[in-house]
Amino acid sequence: MKKQSKKLLTAALALTLGLSLTACGTPAEGDGGGQTEGKPAIIGISQYGQHASLDNCREGFLQGLKEAGLEEGTDYTIDYQNAGFDDNMAIQIGQAFSAEDAAMMVGIATPSATACYAAAEDKDIPVIFTAITDPVGAKLDSGNITGTSDVLPVEGQLKLIRALQPEAKTVGIIYTTSEANSLYSVEVYKDLADQYGFTIDAIGVTAQSEVTQAVDTLINRKVDCLSNLTDNNVVGVLGSILEKTNDAGIPVYGSEIEQMKLGCVGGAGLDYVALGVQTGKMAARILKGEAACQDIPYEVIENYALYINSEVVTQLNLTLPDEVKAEAQDVVNA
Amino acid sequence: MLDLISSTLTQGLIYALLSYGVYITYSVLDFPDLTVDSSFPLGAAVTTVLLIGGMNPWLTLVCATLAGAAAGLCTGLIHVRLGVRDLLAGIITMTALSSINLLIGGSNQTVDRGTDTIFTSAPVMGLFGGLTLSARKLIVSLVLAVVVKLILDAYFRTKSGLLLRAVGDNSTLVTTLAQNKGNMKILGVVMANALVALCGGVLAQEQRSYSAVMGIGQVVFGLATVIIGVTIVRFFTSSKPAQGMGKVPVLRVLATPQGTTAVLLGSILYKFCIQIAINLGLPANMLKFITAALFLLVLVLAGRKGEEIIHA
Repeated sequence: MKKQSKKLLTAALALTLGLSLTACGTPAEGDGGGQTEGKPAIIGISQYGQHASLDNCREGFLQGLKEAGLEEGTDYTIDYQNAGFDDNMAIQIGQAFSAEDAAMMVGIATPSATACYAAAEDKDIPVIFTAITDPVGAKLDSGNITGTSDVLPVEGQLKLIRALQPEAKTVGIIYTTSEANSLYSVEVYKDLADQYGFTIDAIGVTAQSEVTQAVDTLINRKVDCLSNLTDNNVVGVLGSILEKTNDAGIPVYGSEIEQMKLGCVGGAGLDYVALGVQTGKMAARILKGEAACQDIPYEVIENYALYINSEVVTQLNLTLPDEVKAEAQDVVNA
Repeated sequence: MLDLISSTLTQGLIYALLSYGVYITYSVLDFPDLTVDSSFPLGAAVTTVLLIGGMNPWLTLVCATLAGAAAGLCTGLIHVRLGVRDLLAGIITMTALSSINLLIGGSNQTVDRGTDTIFTSAPVMGLFGGLTLSARKLIVSLVLAVVVKLILDAYFRTKSGLLLRAVGDNSTLVTTLAQNKGNMKILGVVMANALVALCGGVLAQEQRSYSAVMGIGQVVFGLATVIIGVTIVRFFTSSKPAQGMGKVPVLRVLATPQGTTAVLLGSILYKFCIQIAINLGLPANMLKFITAALFLLVLVLAGRKGEEIIHA
């Protein structure tokens, strides 16, 4: 019995070795962005999870490719996968892209981009990322990788809060301790708060279930308003946050248009579709061979738009200064 | 296609280390250990931080394993010495550890491509330097999974190993043998979490990254691999020829001796199920559903026989 088991093990070993040898016997077709003859290039899109902002990024990306003159079906095909906020799923998605010799991998949100970059190492497939706040911290800023970064317009947000609430002193923020983007943004808030006469009261949570408790704590500490990051955990339960803050009469400022639609009073928000479009155009340059991925520095989106929910403004008895009124887009009438 | 098989196999082999750990607690000791969800990222955090600090990649794995062992020791001591229920002891350590993980590694860490991992370390490059990176990853993870399996199998045949198995089966027997079953339990949980952390460390090197949330769902994964592995192996070694392929001697041998073989296969199969779901090209949001459906299919096709030996 023991001998047979050993034999089997040897056989399994030989088989795996053989497999791996054959695997390396067929080198990747083309280098990096290369297309195989006649076949459209495969673009593998790995999205970390189902989320309005990330969806907007993806749609914008596809739009960007089209605007750059590339045609789906003839120039490229899309292999879109969604990891459902599961890091292990993201790993296997990256590997599937590498195995099908994708001409390019697109990682939407940090965990997906990191997984794609790891999977792309062997064949040196170019990787494009988007919706990452801190590419330097995630070490995605050099190598055969580039993309767009969605740094929150914190300054614009603080100005808006000041305009709507001239007397406000404390801004409450809830963030998830395991989300790199949030940790980074909280630091930016703390750095800039002084200039606008605010203090930041930030509470870190580890799970979505703790978010509402954190809201209670902040309300109890009498913060003047809450300001949202692009924290997936927190934004995911925005509805229940708003219920509590509305009762307490505390305005919540959002970080993306979708949040204002849900009932945030207003916010300086990124346009994720625009972010995606810019990313798509970047990708098109690489696919067309106009530029190499490693030579394009990643781009930070700094343009933001002001959004206002006029219904909530009235409800909370806030007065909208004229200059904000002129500049901001009202999501109620949009 | 071969690329895909090789990279999926690599994942399955790496995760087999975690499955061995869950097998020891859940199957051998009959101890539902939830420490895993945190000891897995603990191994990854320790590994990436030390790698970035310039430590030899193999040494980082030793440190990760020791860290995991320490986590297991906490769970074991809380359960045996403080008399907290097994499930709760695991939950307590898991909860506390997630803070420790954040202290060690923050929310995430990335190891840049210039840093050597075990897959690009000198001994591996010396032997397999001519192969592609993915081939090297496959070979290294295969060697790791097989070596650990053989060590475990050898251990289970020692006196201590037999006692460990007896604790799960019939703990009264252990007491009548004048042995301390509490100590055996602690030892088992320590070993299990050492393996889980080792798995986290190897995966972190393979992925060149660590994230604080990478441990979510690992207990479930481990349990699924144990159940799938055992079910499948039972199917192929069934004594009723009509039901399985009991007549195939190779498969019979594969199954009879050790549960470790079963969980190794289970881990590989699990990863293949996910890869198949990804490759079916169905709507992306359906990925989890398809994966679940594939598992159900595997379990139903193989019959329920496996469940009988889960607790054996």
